[in-house]
Amino acid sequence: MLNAQKLGLVFFPAFDWAISPTHPEREERLLYTRDQIVEEGLLDMPSIREYKPKIANLQDIERVHVGVPDIFSLITNAHLVSAGGAIAAADAVIKKEVQRAFALVRPPGHHAMRIVHGTRGFCTINMEAIMIEYLRKTYGIGKVAIVDTDVHHGDGTQDIFYHDPDTLFISFHQDGRTLYPGTGFTNEMGSPNALGTTVNIPLPPGTGDCGLHEVLDHLIMPILGEFKPEIIINSAGQDNHFSDPLANMAITAQGYARLADTLKADIAVLEGGYSIEDALPYVNVGIVLAMAGMDYSRVIEPNIVDCPSQASSVTHYIKEIIKERQDMWGRKEKLKREAIMKHGEFWQTERSIYYDDEGINEQQKERIRLCSHCSGYVTIETKARSSLHYKTAYIGMIPQKACPACLKAAYNEVHTAKKKGEYQHYMVQNKQEDRLERL
Amino acid sequence: MGFIPGKRGDNMFLGLDVGGTFTDGVVVADGKIVSMVKAPTTNENLLRCILTVVDKMVEDIGSKAFERIVLSTTIVTNAIVEGKIDQVALCIMPGPGMNIADILPVEPYILSGYIDHRGREMAQPSKEEVLSACRHFASCDVFVVSGKFAVRNPNFESAVADWIQEKVSPMHISRGGKVSGTLNFLRRTNSAYYNAAVWRRFNAFATAVEEALTIRGVYSPVFVLKADGGTLPLSVARNCPIEAIFTGPAASTIGVMGMNGDAAVSGISLDIGGTTTDIALWQKGRPALAKEGAAVAGHRTGVQGFRLKSAGIGGDSLVFWENHVLKVGPMRHGPAMAAGGPKPTVTDAMVAAGFIDFGDRALAVKAMKQLALQGQSPEEMASQVVDKAVNDICQAIADLLDEQAAEPLYHVEEIVYERKFVLETIIGVGGGAAGLVPLIAKKLGISYTLPENGKVANAFGAAVARPTIAITLRADTAEGYYTVPELGIKNRLPRGNSSLQNMYELAEKHLAELAQRNSIFAGETQIVQSEEFNMVRGFTSVGKIMTCRLQIKPGVLQYGEEELC
Repeated sequence: MLNAQKLGLVFFPAFDWAISPTHPEREERLLYTRDQIVEEGLLDMPSIREYKPKIANLQDIERVHVGVPDIFSLITNAHLVSAGGAIAAADAVIKKEVQRAFALVRPPGHHAMRIVHGTRGFCTINMEAIMIEYLRKTYGIGKVAIVDTDVHHGDGTQDIFYHDPDTLFISFHQDGRTLYPGTGFTNEMGSPNALGTTVNIPLPPGTGDCGLHEVLDHLIMPILGEFKPEIIINSAGQDNHFSDPLANMAITAQGYARLADTLKADIAVLEGGYSIEDALPYVNVGIVLAMAGMDYSRVIEPNIVDCPSQASSVTHYIKEIIKERQDMWGRKEKLKREAIMKHGEFWQTERSIYYDDEGINEQQKERIRLCSHCSGYVTIETKARSSLHYKTAYIGMIPQKACPACLKAAYNEVHTAKKKGEYQHYMVQNKQEDRLERL
Repeated sequence: MGFIPGKRGDNMFLGLDVGGTFTDGVVVADGKIVSMVKAPTTNENLLRCILTVVDKMVEDIGSKAFERIVLSTTIVTNAIVEGKIDQVALCIMPGPGMNIADILPVEPYILSGYIDHRGREMAQPSKEEVLSACRHFASCDVFVVSGKFAVRNPNFESAVADWIQEKVSPMHISRGGKVSGTLNFLRRTNSAYYNAAVWRRFNAFATAVEEALTIRGVYSPVFVLKADGGTLPLSVARNCPIEAIFTGPAASTIGVMGMNGDAAVSGISLDIGGTTTDIALWQKGRPALAKEGAAVAGHRTGVQGFRLKSAGIGGDSLVFWENHVLKVGPMRHGPAMAAGGPKPTVTDAMVAAGFIDFGDRALAVKAMKQLALQGQSPEEMASQVVDKAVNDICQAIADLLDEQAAEPLYHVEEIVYERKFVLETIIGVGGGAAGLVPLIAKKLGISYTLPENGKVANAFGAAVARPTIAITLRADTAEGYYTVPELGIKNRLPRGNSSLQNMYELAEKHLAELAQRNSIFAGETQIVQSEEFNMVRGFTSVGKIMTCRLQIKPGVLQYGEEELC
């Protein structure tokens, strides 16, 4: 379509949804953002078109997640609408009704991993991942890049795409040694078959606009240029803002708007950001204007004087990080070959995952076959304990482009485990047939 | 405005709709039309056709004692379209945000001073700047002051207006927050700009109408219709002429409401005229309102109207072949051939197919013969044309329903448990309704009604529309204040508990106050919007933000039971 509008905006503030009445994820979160967007008259701009969210269905969600015992018992209607909002944004872009889209939706999702036992880091299901797998299924999209600009490491998104060489996941965030969820270090680079397609850039507390743009210009943009994704997704958290109560960074609305302008993501999806009065109204207006190709130079927070300037030690540290990561990106093929050699047929890992919202401790044992014909099948053994429950499951995962051997082996493994009977639930997520099977 | 005692009692309401081509007038007594007059619209001097129609009606019924006279006119729209507007001194306080300087109708003078989304004063305006703005606009007689978030705190707009008044005493100052009380700085600024730009012309018109009526011995109060179907006393409209744009469709829609009687109907109304069909959506007896403000000369204003869709098909629409495809409208080449026109029209097809009896049937058949392909009978041709017209209107109805369904919703419950709009019936008015509406209803599989006198629904609507007014009250209990922008007030909240119910009561009080100030009877009111949010800082609840918009219910006057003033 020739006169495609510049920006599709899916605005869904979920004014009737909260994790709990005084939780940062409460009804009020996007109230002031709504006020600012409406007051500015942004929705009247000819270059901006507002879209209504869709409602995601079970298949959309189970294409990504395996809920234990099932996903529907763990989520609310708000999650279906938020995921549907991301899907509506993606549809508008792929159908070329708009050049790019921003799903300004809540609840957020980037801490939600493949296996879901509950809510962690305010997230239960992963909106971007659901959207990406929807795009692949519906439109046959292949290579995708996700740039996670939330202050917290997008550990959920990283987990979901850790073995997928077709999905580049780049996350910059406040260093995990100083902030939830405590992950996202440079050595987390993807499992051997997908090594290098996970890029973590931990930044020191106090990073300001100049540091952020240094990282963007000299690291993120060149990597994106080399990876050549068909589509770029921005996990657009807004908690790097200097006024955010949950983090310690020093980014301004201008910094965020310029980021959106430089990145030129096809689709942005809101993640965190809890300075609901002092940051979100301005940051969101800045991002919307930048994505719509409009002048954002006048979007300046009234309390901009409170923004600390970036310390020289921080500037120095950031330059080092950039150098280190550039070097790792340059050597990724070599590192990949070495990793495959080292691990033989299977790569496995064991870790514990904490669900802060509900006090659930999950122990996960994961194993992936380093197949030379496909990205390899995965098995996950999960045991989750909270004061109320003890839930276990054994899960096989078959990638969409799995080779016949991996397909067969995944089912065999789950059947074998079921015979042993150590777990409560046995499931196979078969992406080739787009369904989750319970055995 | 008061009445002259002894002049009332006949319960007669005069309604007048000035359309693009014709001006319709009706007199309604006890809910029945007792006089109908039609005259060509004299666009160069609207007063002339208005007085022609009033004179004819006075002559017709032999009385001048109208309860009131309501005008639905194109005076404001015409003035804007023809550029007969004044130069406006546009002063804005945009604060940080989108750069709107280039998208306003004229170049604004930008003042400092900024109110934030909570209504807090973040940066003070400067008197020096305002004085230099006055010098900059030395040649202007009308001023506009519009500030971002002025609806959350009117203090800056009123301070700046006071400084301007003090310095240059212009003829008129329009304030954004008073012209429109809802969020949208851009629309409020556009509204206030056009309000000021047409202020002088509208006031001259108002004076001329009042004088002309006085000379004729007609002492009835004059009202003007608004785009949302309410009416305002002319004396009040003098300060908000922008409210008088796009009243034509509102007149017709309120007219349908008055003629239909059945209050709770859900469906659509079709006003089928000569060249267009206006479609309005009805939910339980209320026409749906548009989300966007009415646009004037490409600029969106804060003026609220009905959600309407106009399809370029009417009785006089030209029917023709284009690249072997049959086309209906949107152009008109004169009346139907059956009525002596030059080219085949939809009406000719309706006559030839036997759906209506109008003009010379032989000429209508001839029209269809002209159009027919080889081997096609005139009757077959006629039914093909009728099918095409019906299909096109049905498509426009479907588009309107799609638009309604695509309206963004901000609550989970609204989306998940969304109630789909169900069409139950069609109400048809206008000249082309009798023939087409039954066919459209049949195709959609629903019932229809064709109100008697549907041809003058517009003037009827003007006659019976209720006076209305609305206010927006927003309370911020953490700040301890509430604002009512339409009244230009920011007051301390009363002591004690502040619940949404308390806010409704406070809004009722202020609405009654504004109604009294505007000489309007505050009858039945309705809450058109309300929301309530708990504010949490840290992990503690610190207060509530409550907003409610309350209006005098627009609609049809209950004859004899309601006072006007």
